[in-house]
Amino acid sequence: MCVSLSLCLVRWSRYNPYYLDPDPSKDARVPESELSPEEKELQELKTVSPIKAALSSDTSSAFNDPLISKFINMMMQDGNKILARGIMTQTLETIKRKQVEKYHKSPAAKREEIECNPYTVFHQALENCKPIIGLASVQKGGKSYQVPVPLTDNRRRFLAMKWLITECRDNKHRRTHMYEKLSQELLAAFANEGNVVKRKHDLHKMAEANRAYAHYRWW
Amino acid sequence: MHFFYLILAIPTFFCLICSFNKSLEMSKVHRLMQNECKICYGNLTTFNLSCPFLSQTYHSERHTGQYYTLPAAHIQKLFPHGLPPRFQLQIKTFNEGCVMVRPPALELISYLKKADYSKPPLRYILYGDVGTGKTMCLSHALHYCYTQGWLIVHISDAHLWVKNCKELLPSSSRPSRFDQPIQASQWLKNFKITNERFLSKVQLGYVWTKRERTEKGQPLGELVDQGVNRMKSSSDVVGAVLRELRLQAGGATEGEGAFKLAVAVDGLNALWGKTSLKKEDRTMCEPEELTLIHNVRKMMKNNWSGGAILTALSQTGSLFKPQSAYLPSELLGEEGFDNMEPFVPVSVSNYNEKEFESCYLYYLDRNWLQHSHSRSEEGKKELIFLSNKNPSILERLCAFL
Repeated sequence: MCVSLSLCLVRWSRYNPYYLDPDPSKDARVPESELSPEEKELQELKTVSPIKAALSSDTSSAFNDPLISKFINMMMQDGNKILARGIMTQTLETIKRKQVEKYHKSPAAKREEIECNPYTVFHQALENCKPIIGLASVQKGGKSYQVPVPLTDNRRRFLAMKWLITECRDNKHRRTHMYEKLSQELLAAFANEGNVVKRKHDLHKMAEANRAYAHYRWW
Repeated sequence: MHFFYLILAIPTFFCLICSFNKSLEMSKVHRLMQNECKICYGNLTTFNLSCPFLSQTYHSERHTGQYYTLPAAHIQKLFPHGLPPRFQLQIKTFNEGCVMVRPPALELISYLKKADYSKPPLRYILYGDVGTGKTMCLSHALHYCYTQGWLIVHISDAHLWVKNCKELLPSSSRPSRFDQPIQASQWLKNFKITNERFLSKVQLGYVWTKRERTEKGQPLGELVDQGVNRMKSSSDVVGAVLRELRLQAGGATEGEGAFKLAVAVDGLNALWGKTSLKKEDRTMCEPEELTLIHNVRKMMKNNWSGGAILTALSQTGSLFKPQSAYLPSELLGEEGFDNMEPFVPVSVSNYNEKEFESCYLYYLDRNWLQHSHSRSEEGKKELIFLSNKNPSILERLCAFL
């Protein structure tokens, strides 16, 4: 694995809104006949409008997972992507090892219930950690109230990932490795247990308790 | 007349009764039929038993690429140390220890079968690029020796004796030597686990170390226990044990006292390289000045008879050697090469197509390749491209896919 710290940064983070996102996967090019009229319009647009530069971390292989990439970026500190990616792969490996060990030791009847795929475990655990409703601070009459507010998809995904990472960094034993902590937390979240899911439930309860202030929201 | 034929027929008939334990998913996977000869495996506690059934049907060329299961009891006894750490993890995860039969290991085993044990021992060196499977081939050959009832002297990683040593004591018996009590007593414990059945059978000649002396006729087990209990003299005990085994290996040809000695060293280049240990006056320590290394070097000479010396080179744990070096002349250096010459070199390389296929199917069978794309044809091609069919890189890739 070559370590080139002098990566050429082609992609800026601020683009004109009409720039489209690149789609490097091999299934991007679908033959004309299979498209519906809206999709045909989209294809037309793609031939004319400019496209943003692709990130160095995106590959055209089917192993590329945007959710995992986002999580790696959130875990990264000081731009050390190699370390963050290493931790992620070790986490996936640990999850798989634990599950496959359980699979091989259990009798044939229980084997079908055990989920061995670390990617499905990760996706499901993240889903279980996403809050449905959030709180926003609104100032009215000199006092600020916590108002229940709907969240966008991106915000929910961000909160789930942020809670997972901070939980593993702060509330666990200092001598365990990050990948061990993450794998334990992810497996717990997969089973709807653990501190992150508890935090989500607490947020929901607070929102339920403050539902009287819901009309303070004007957006 | 008929009685005579019956008596001849009984052993063969007996062996045919031995249960063949077929693995369940045989149709999908290149899994070897496990000839679990329960009678013979069970009886391997008796001294110098070599099951004729096993030695005839032990792996041959037609088994290349197939996996065979090491019995759990054998792994516990034979490899308390010595298996690569990732392979130990794999054993724990899959609940079984499966090794692929590969041409270098088969070559080594065929040499071991045909060698003349009244002559000095042949020295075999396994060499190859990083991660191609040298330690695994060595373990395979060692398992063969174990099933044939040999006495095993296995130094799992000589590099661990030349670096990161917490306690370096000046030797009690010789002025210019240094002892490593922790490493020596750890090795003696593992030696005891592997060769338990020999400890009471092998009788010592007159052994003399500076402080302790063991009288003639004492079993080897007592000497080993002494070394384990008294850490200070453990390095000298290691030397005494090796010397005794060397003298006795070719001794009695038949009967109770006879045994063949297999000396296995992984990371052979540590014996003639540099150490990273410092003496008290902060000068670098030479490997020659360490008791353990000195005794193992004496073992590597072919001035005894009745056994074989199996070794593997290793760049990964080595000190001050570039990563591109893998040939014996590069890793052993001039001194090492001259000491080891003449030797039989056995080259270990990356998987060929058939072996890669077998490894891929094994991982599928064990439910290890989970990503849906890795189970498709294109995913397989990507794996071939990324790993270049290198066993260890493939294993690390498949771990998170």
